[in-house]
Amino acid sequence: MRKSKILLTVLAAGLAASSPALAKDPLRIGVPTSLTGPYVELGEEAKRGALFAAAEANAKGGVAGRQVIVEFGDTEGNPEVGRRAAEKLVHSGFKLLTGSISSAVGLAIGAQLEKWDALYISSINKSNRLTAESCNPRMFRANHSDAMDMAAVRPWLKTRGEQDWVVIAADYAWGRDSAQEFAAAAAAVGKNVKAQLFAPLGTKDYAPYIQQIKDHKPAGIWVALAGRDAVNFGVQGKQFGLLGSVFAISQSFAVPSTIKGMGDVAEGIWGIVNYTSTLDTPGNKAFVAEWVKAHGKEPANFEAETYVAMKTLFAAVEKADSVEPEAVAKALETVSLDIPFYGKVSMRAADHQLMMPNFIGRVARVDGQLKPVVEVTVPTEQAMAPPSPACKM
Amino acid sequence: MEADRTGGGAVVTVPGLLLFAGFALVGPAAAFLVPSTLIQSLLTQATIYAIFALGVGILIRQNGMVSFGHAAFFGLPAYVIGAVLPLGLMPPELIIIGGLAATALMAFLVGLVIVRVHGIAFGMLTLAIGQAVYEAATRLRGLTGGHDGLSLDLPRFLFGLPLKTFQQPGSMLIVTWLVLALMLAVAFLFAKSRYGLLSEAIRDNEERVRFLGYRTLVPRALTFALSALVTAAGGVLFALYNAFVSPETVHWTASGSALIMAILGGASAPWGPVAGAFTYFFLKEAVGSFTTHWLSIIGVSLIVVTVVFPAGLVGLFDRLRPGNRSQGAANVG
Repeated sequence: MRKSKILLTVLAAGLAASSPALAKDPLRIGVPTSLTGPYVELGEEAKRGALFAAAEANAKGGVAGRQVIVEFGDTEGNPEVGRRAAEKLVHSGFKLLTGSISSAVGLAIGAQLEKWDALYISSINKSNRLTAESCNPRMFRANHSDAMDMAAVRPWLKTRGEQDWVVIAADYAWGRDSAQEFAAAAAAVGKNVKAQLFAPLGTKDYAPYIQQIKDHKPAGIWVALAGRDAVNFGVQGKQFGLLGSVFAISQSFAVPSTIKGMGDVAEGIWGIVNYTSTLDTPGNKAFVAEWVKAHGKEPANFEAETYVAMKTLFAAVEKADSVEPEAVAKALETVSLDIPFYGKVSMRAADHQLMMPNFIGRVARVDGQLKPVVEVTVPTEQAMAPPSPACKM
Repeated sequence: MEADRTGGGAVVTVPGLLLFAGFALVGPAAAFLVPSTLIQSLLTQATIYAIFALGVGILIRQNGMVSFGHAAFFGLPAYVIGAVLPLGLMPPELIIIGGLAATALMAFLVGLVIVRVHGIAFGMLTLAIGQAVYEAATRLRGLTGGHDGLSLDLPRFLFGLPLKTFQQPGSMLIVTWLVLALMLAVAFLFAKSRYGLLSEAIRDNEERVRFLGYRTLVPRALTFALSALVTAAGGVLFALYNAFVSPETVHWTASGSALIMAILGGASAPWGPVAGAFTYFFLKEAVGSFTTHWLSIIGVSLIVVTVVFPAGLVGLFDRLRPGNRSQGAANVG
């Protein structure tokens, strides 16, 4: 993080010295994210992703001649604190927002956008509600929704032998959505979901949940926990002999931040992989090389996904040649661009969901290090769930 | 020692009225003079918390009781609005006033039971009630949205004013400030009223007041209800301004913050908690912008205040006032 900050400062200094071209209003992007709380590691990823994209753009003379400035606010992963942090950013002139971790924060911000004359593009929030009943003209999503993840999982789930499943999920918008979607997907392919358990965000002791899971004797578990919650569940799940004895597939669980916290326990866990540094494409290799040059390690999923949201925002600002939220929102509706690791992606105007491919993989050893490795690639046409009829712009 | 505040002479004096009018104008003046929407929005939020803290302060000042659960009264009207509004049963104005009245009535009934106990036990009871409301807010997902909170779909017009009035920092600063002034006046007049004086007497020596032939329960419960009502008025403004409420709003930490504001300011005068709220809010903003450990700084300031100025800003003010020999000692439990 420090390195990227230094990098950004150097770049900013360089630009200040040689930039009569940058006379246009700068592009100010606000990142209300988890700087403290159970999602702090993920918030740091979002922060690095945003700073990297900004530095990259500024090194090339900015976005359509505009310098990119990023400012952060702490949401603590909590909708009320997050709403306040975003409000402060907006009133400080940072009206284009991205980078919140919790879907609940994204939804709380979403409801305020019209009033604030602001715009929010999600880079991490998965809850369907952002692009369904809570959709609005100023809210966008540049990451995979629960419905998209499940569209990828459904055909795969059909091929699995495990019959009985239990769901353990975080008790807020994302986890609730994820559990509901998984239960529906399981029912559609003839599997049983014997129980759905919900743990509040920030739960430290998972023993009661793990015991309940074991009582149901499932063959597989669906895990929708992230950040420190995921690490706590993973470590305790190993201690209580759950992980290792049942098959586990997850969202935001088989990711570098969790693997690092869990250690060897993580090996073999399956997961939806929205991005992994091991993606075997020339575009991704180039991106990883650039990232390693700046940070000294490979990019994690939320770093890359926040990068996608930033790039999408940049493309819209270029298209609109404006930083006014209303004009940028209009341009975002039909934006399309190239992402080094996804290829061509474009925004779906009906529900403001970015259309892109998805991946399923598992944690395996690559060069002695545990990393998510892709097993199934789901092309964009199959990865997209249809727009929700509940979304009325 | 409180003779100048609670006894003798006309309740409403000319200098007093002028002071009040001057205070009421500060908010509108700030709304016009401060060009930055950021500062305006911070002032608006601070004013809402000042009303919250004022409610907590009334209870400390009149009853000598410390509540750890007032956030329940702050958040309840917002949840009532959020739950009843979509049903379309009655005009939104009626829901807002009804929500306030229901909160005050509930506080009165609860008060009849819990003000009988004193000290720590009372604090624990308020904490328990507050956390019960918090648990309900997180569990009743269908009604409250659970941990995700609830967005309030407010109508375009309220009380004849466009909704924007309540949601833009500049205009809302005027609204919240006028409500704050009104609530301060209510707190002041209540303190001078028969019930107010009686509740103070009970606070100081309940046994003796009972011996004089007064019933001591109702005045105390009434004070509790008034304190809840003032807090709830802040809660309504919060709901209108943000159009959003989440369990965090009713969590005990929110009660704790309001209590810190009241103690920081000193509860021996109605304006104490208000001054405390502004100090706390802007201290938090200033410190929070350069460190995430702002809580530790607030904590240290609180220790300094309780040790050096046990009567808070009010005590400090009394001590600094020329010609005032008052010791500014804390008269609260």
